[in-house]
Amino acid sequence: MAELLPPGVNAETMAETLERFRQIVGKEWVFTGEQVVSYHDPYPISNDDTRYKAHAAVAPSSTEQVQEIVKAANASGVPLWPVSRGKNFAYGGAAPVFSGSIVLDMSRMNRILEVNEKFGYALVEPGVSYFDLYNYLHAHGLKLWLDVPDPGWGSVLGNALDHGVGYTPYGDHFMMQCGMEVVLANGEVVRTGMGAMPGNNTWQLFKYGFGPYVDGIFSQSNFGIVTKMGIWLMPEPAGYRPYMITFEREEDIAEVIEILRPLRLNNVIQNAATIRSLVLDAAISSTKSQYYSGAGPIPDSVARKIMADQAIGMWNFCGALYGPPPIADALWTVIRDAFAKVPGARFYFPEDRKRRPDILIHRAETMRGIPKLTEFNFLNWAGGGGHIGFSPVSPTTGIDALKQYRMVSGRVREYGFDYMGLLAIGFRELHHVTVIVYDKTSADERQRLDKLFKLLVQEAAAEGYGEYRTHIQYMDAIAGTYKWNDNALMKMHQSIKDALDPKGILAPGKSGIWPKHLRDGRQP
Amino acid sequence: MRLIVLTVSTAFLAASVAVAAADLTGKEVFDRHCVHCHGPGNEATGTLQLARTRGEDKALLTERDDLPAAYIRMIVRQGLKAMPAFVPSDLTDAQLKALADYLTAE
Repeated sequence: MAELLPPGVNAETMAETLERFRQIVGKEWVFTGEQVVSYHDPYPISNDDTRYKAHAAVAPSSTEQVQEIVKAANASGVPLWPVSRGKNFAYGGAAPVFSGSIVLDMSRMNRILEVNEKFGYALVEPGVSYFDLYNYLHAHGLKLWLDVPDPGWGSVLGNALDHGVGYTPYGDHFMMQCGMEVVLANGEVVRTGMGAMPGNNTWQLFKYGFGPYVDGIFSQSNFGIVTKMGIWLMPEPAGYRPYMITFEREEDIAEVIEILRPLRLNNVIQNAATIRSLVLDAAISSTKSQYYSGAGPIPDSVARKIMADQAIGMWNFCGALYGPPPIADALWTVIRDAFAKVPGARFYFPEDRKRRPDILIHRAETMRGIPKLTEFNFLNWAGGGGHIGFSPVSPTTGIDALKQYRMVSGRVREYGFDYMGLLAIGFRELHHVTVIVYDKTSADERQRLDKLFKLLVQEAAAEGYGEYRTHIQYMDAIAGTYKWNDNALMKMHQSIKDALDPKGILAPGKSGIWPKHLRDGRQP
Repeated sequence: MRLIVLTVSTAFLAASVAVAAADLTGKEVFDRHCVHCHGPGNEATGTLQLARTRGEDKALLTERDDLPAAYIRMIVRQGLKAMPAFVPSDLTDAQLKALADYLTAE
């Protein structure tokens, strides 16, 4: 396939820009031609081979190099697609929304600049992975815990910017972010919050500084490039006790959520716990072909067989107790007694689980911040390797949870896929993440998935449910559902975009936000 | 791998990275990038899937002698089914050569 050029940029201009990038970062850190294959979306959905393809990639090693790259891109009009480590695989990986962009790959900016045990934080660059930070804490014997998402190779900074979640009491990653350094589209460097004050020593301790709190506009956005970020880390608790409660019937989810809400709001359930569906958990340790050779989703009889074999439920609630044993004992008594009201509920601690691999044994590590890649096992459920997340947010009510479950699972099964759902429990809401596993090598299956996904977005929006995060292919579609008051929020985004990045060189199309010269026909 | 430069007090640890890519041995590359999916144990995704699709005797990459170096390099750069590609900024060509040499060594 010929190398793609962004509209308005000719081959000569692109060549000159890449040559300038080589002068800035060194020729070995500009990747072109066949080298760009590694930056493609590993789990593509579109059957149009020209979409979501980068022209090249450039990998700086410092904030100063990022500044110089941005200035050169501004001069030439070549769009950049910044990624921290490019491991956001269910959402497009390192691939750009706008074909022909140059990936600004910050993997080499992987310095852990500071870890402060006394106050519980780290200051990191974009290329620092969860594995890196975990290994660092472990090597230095620091009594701090990470909060990790399921894939441990992702960027600590990038995951927080994309509003990723984990499973400890620090599970809302952007909530735990404190202080940023940002390179703007004109090459200027800004430090947010207390970092704006020379000589201040609370950059990673107090989020807000003085004046407008701006950190949020650099998350899921294309308004600047975050080159440093503070992240709060949890002090190692005096005790840790993971548990799992299983529920037998699909409709139990309504009662379970009603029981759960007050427990979470009152911090009796301390962590960002999860309720996971049968097939998602079964796929951690088995494949579909071990149980079912027919076409389409597994029938109920097969679901019951899996439940019996693996001692899991139709829903599985994984949580953990953190703190001194007397406190954990008291919390567990309340939790156990509350969920015992659900007929058929079963209670497990890790020592009760004998099968390997086992979902609780696996989650017990994740809920204490140990980075892993075990969750990738579910990609092999049906053998085709692809996956995407459909992630609407729901109030923590039984009515909403059951309604969303029936809406999404019904459509997913109608289109021939198994329902693999995860309800990540926030304080007042649920992230209902449905993972759709598909055969990425099948053009027919990708087309079917595309139709399904668009339908899910429409039907969820019609009921007032919005997604919190999405794949590069659906950013316009999701952004289009946040349209209250004649698209007032998008218009505000566009005003900010036009002010901060008038030439539109930073991540065109990210979160549905396009620069002025590319907006026609796409946005209000 | 990181070369840690420390300014240590009880509460403060400052660190920076500085390791040339070529400094990693093939085993170090494997332990950094591959072992989480292709190591031993009952949770390693790649090992489990290779056991299912190729057989138990071909499940562990470190015990195989049938993988050409060129094939290893291609899979790392292009990915295969569930396995995503590794970009050359994070796993350099020199590291990839070291990795392929390590996995194909007698």
